[in-house]
Amino acid sequence: MSQTIHNKFINNKRRVSLRVIALLHVIFAFLSTQAFAQGLDVQSGDVSNAKPTSQLSARAWLTKMSEAVRELNYHISFVVLKPGSEAQPYIWRHGISETGVEMEHLSMLNGPGQEVLRMGDQVSYFEPNVPAYSMRSDVINGPLPETLLSAPETLLGAYDFVLVGRNRISGRSAQQIRVVSTDGSRFGYVLWLDESTGLPLKLNMVDLKGHLLEQIQVTALQVTATPHEHFSRIETSKLPQVIEFNPNKSLEATWNLAFMPIGMEIVKRDRHRLPYTGQWVDYVMLSDGLVNVSVYLHEKNGAVADQDLLLRSESNTFLTRNHGSISVTVIGKVPAQTANAIASSITVANQ
Amino acid sequence: MTQEHENLSAFVDGESQDSSLISALNDNESLNAKWQRYHLIRHSLRKEMPEFADFDISEQVANAIESEPAILAPKKTWRDVPVVASVVPFIKQGGQLAIAASVAAAVVIGVQQMNQPVDVGPMNSTPATLPGIKGGLSPVSLEETRTVPRTDVMEQRKVVNSFLTDHRNQLRMKAESLHNQDEALNGQEKGSPDNGESNNPQ
Repeated sequence: MSQTIHNKFINNKRRVSLRVIALLHVIFAFLSTQAFAQGLDVQSGDVSNAKPTSQLSARAWLTKMSEAVRELNYHISFVVLKPGSEAQPYIWRHGISETGVEMEHLSMLNGPGQEVLRMGDQVSYFEPNVPAYSMRSDVINGPLPETLLSAPETLLGAYDFVLVGRNRISGRSAQQIRVVSTDGSRFGYVLWLDESTGLPLKLNMVDLKGHLLEQIQVTALQVTATPHEHFSRIETSKLPQVIEFNPNKSLEATWNLAFMPIGMEIVKRDRHRLPYTGQWVDYVMLSDGLVNVSVYLHEKNGAVADQDLLLRSESNTFLTRNHGSISVTVIGKVPAQTANAIASSITVANQ
Repeated sequence: MTQEHENLSAFVDGESQDSSLISALNDNESLNAKWQRYHLIRHSLRKEMPEFADFDISEQVANAIESEPAILAPKKTWRDVPVVASVVPFIKQGGQLAIAASVAAAVVIGVQQMNQPVDVGPMNSTPATLPGIKGGLSPVSLEETRTVPRTDVMEQRKVVNSFLTDHRNQLRMKAESLHNQDEALNGQEKGSPDNGESNNPQ
């Protein structure tokens, strides 16, 4: 017995001494192994002899997902994990009414609870402490990245989609897809889709080194033929009134951004007051559809220290930089380097 | 041989439960090495590589076992002196009481901390500038306290909070304004949101 164990030790040592060569072999093994070549179906999707589900390219999988998210009747429980806060459980229901209207319901299960209900293009928010109200919108602004889920094709310019392989998530077999920004200026996403329905099972937001930032994990998934009975109990006539909200008039551009990450554009520009402090700010929102970055130009706060400020709030980067008497503040879910590049690229025209 | 590779690959992926492969793995050195490499490939493909890639710890464990000194008999210590042996249990008991008391204290503190109000999530903040909505805004993530004398730090927190809250409000209103633009464009190509009220400097 001890003799065989001893032999194994010797074998182990020999193997370790060959480790460098083995590492080189990794690449060759990788290329020569047929099974892996099939799993590596990156963006091409022309493998004809594989199983039907594994034929799809990453893009085809995302199309399947967006169709499933918009067209199926489903009932999903999921948990959101963010740094610095506790796990937040949600229920997410979706259904198509008999008249073909999309119905969506998102409910937070902990604490006093928040309910968001979308009937077609009307979103109603029911929250503690404030009267319920409705807005016109196609998407619920909540924990889910709605653009990625319902219209991933709009992100093609800014992100690459890479099919990674199969895995088991929430007790179901899943396809894993990486979403990477083309210029490496934004955080990446890893998405796991249910193989049979195409619905999302898990979503990780990872930083540039691949460390986990935020996570959405589905814990239960039900797809049904008819919408959940919850929707039949809703009396649409009793929903809160829609707030018609006039966007501020557009401003003359007195300052410009020289740098924007690929795929980002200015979606909003105005001047408004901040809550709490009432300070006036020049405001610009950059968006690539998935990530939104707020850029504020404001007078330097007298009470606040003079040095630049870099904070992290959940996965938002908060950066304030001083340019003489003017400060620039950038907030968004982007790496600090990107926020800094945006902040330092500002040029003021009228000075 | 290729068949064997394919079986192994399927086994690594969890697509095959061939028990004969397990014994083959034990016996066949090259297959064993391949097993490790496949997992390595799998990890690197999924970006799950550890920062310090040390792939085989079996050798280190083996070395550690080899270099371990053999223990033949327990050493005689001062605890084995008769008088000390009878005194030590008393000290031990006292220590246990102290530990129990401190655990209880920790539990009380823990319970107090656990009962803090839950931080409600991202849907919490209400647009401040929306007409028709009354009621206060709750702090986003950094908390404000009124009893503490205002210092630069407090002032800074307030400023940071105001920016973070505004950022959240803007996100929610963005969905609305994009929707209005889509309606204004009325069937034109979707996804070019800089046509409406915003000015693109380029």
